[in-house]
Amino acid sequence: MTDNFAVLLAVMAAAAFLCRVAGFTLMRFVPVSPRVEAALRATPLAVMAGITALAVQAGGLAEALALGSVVALTLVLRSDVAAALLGVVAVAVLRWAGV
Amino acid sequence: MRALFSRDGFRRGARDGVPLAVSIFAYGVGFGLVAAQAGFGVAKAVATSAAIYSGSAQLAAVNLLQTGEATLWALFAAILVINARYLLFGATLQPWLWSAGPLRAYGSLLLLGDANWLMTMRRIQDGEEDRAYLAGTGAPITLGWLGGTALGAGAVSVLPRPEALGFDLMLACFAAGMVTAMVKARADLLPVGVGALAALGLFQLFGPAPAIIGAGLAGAAVAALMHGRTA
Repeated sequence: MTDNFAVLLAVMAAAAFLCRVAGFTLMRFVPVSPRVEAALRATPLAVMAGITALAVQAGGLAEALALGSVVALTLVLRSDVAAALLGVVAVAVLRWAGV
Repeated sequence: MRALFSRDGFRRGARDGVPLAVSIFAYGVGFGLVAAQAGFGVAKAVATSAAIYSGSAQLAAVNLLQTGEATLWALFAAILVINARYLLFGATLQPWLWSAGPLRAYGSLLLLGDANWLMTMRRIQDGEEDRAYLAGTGAPITLGWLGGTALGAGAVSVLPRPEALGFDLMLACFAAGMVTAMVKARADLLPVGVGALAALGLFQLFGPAPAIIGAGLAGAAVAALMHGRTA
């Protein structure tokens, strides 16, 4: 193991950079058919649903209520950003109140 | 012809990135504190945040370095595994981003993170044409991450814990809001359900990082299979 911080930093940066560019670069050689396009469009939906599901599972009542209200507020307010920020406020208040 | 890459799009992205940057700032402070305890000075901590630019990977790297037995390969492999989800993120951005030209595309990828990938994919679905949007979202996030790291490493811990402000739920709140807004047809509910179930199942077996990648791949696979069939 080297004590040279510059070498450590270069190795860590290389790994992080590889992850950022490799998928992108490989995708350049995949022809984007309508089927592939459907898969690409579905990916963020599935990832977002996954992140939300894991947060509900890891959290308690406060987290579940806040995330549920984000879904409802997005439909009512028609702004996902406003709904998300209100959700953060909601969970902070609920936790402060001891829920 | 190159796709649009303008100051306007950058500004739009930067504006949308601000709320995300506030919570990422708080986490930057958290990483800075951890790095300071591991003996990093402000300069080293900020250099780490700039070079890796990923909170989870940096925490793992610092932990590994603290054991004193980490090899360069172990360090490399740990970051590769934790950040493997970026392979998926990069692939989904490719058709849209590549048309901006290689320099702009790869430059923008340097600023790619979880939060601004979600935000950019959401805007692309809404018809965002300006490829500078992604780099724009990255600008305030980078400032928050590096500024937070510097403050934390300098032991300037003036903030309450991120959890007290609800910041730990920020990404999940944005994910919940954006997925709700992005479901436009009944068929869109399929990858949503599959993604949620895959994440929960894989989390039990393999932990958080494979759960997110698996959710994305499962959603992509089911959408590819169902393509062309009327649901």
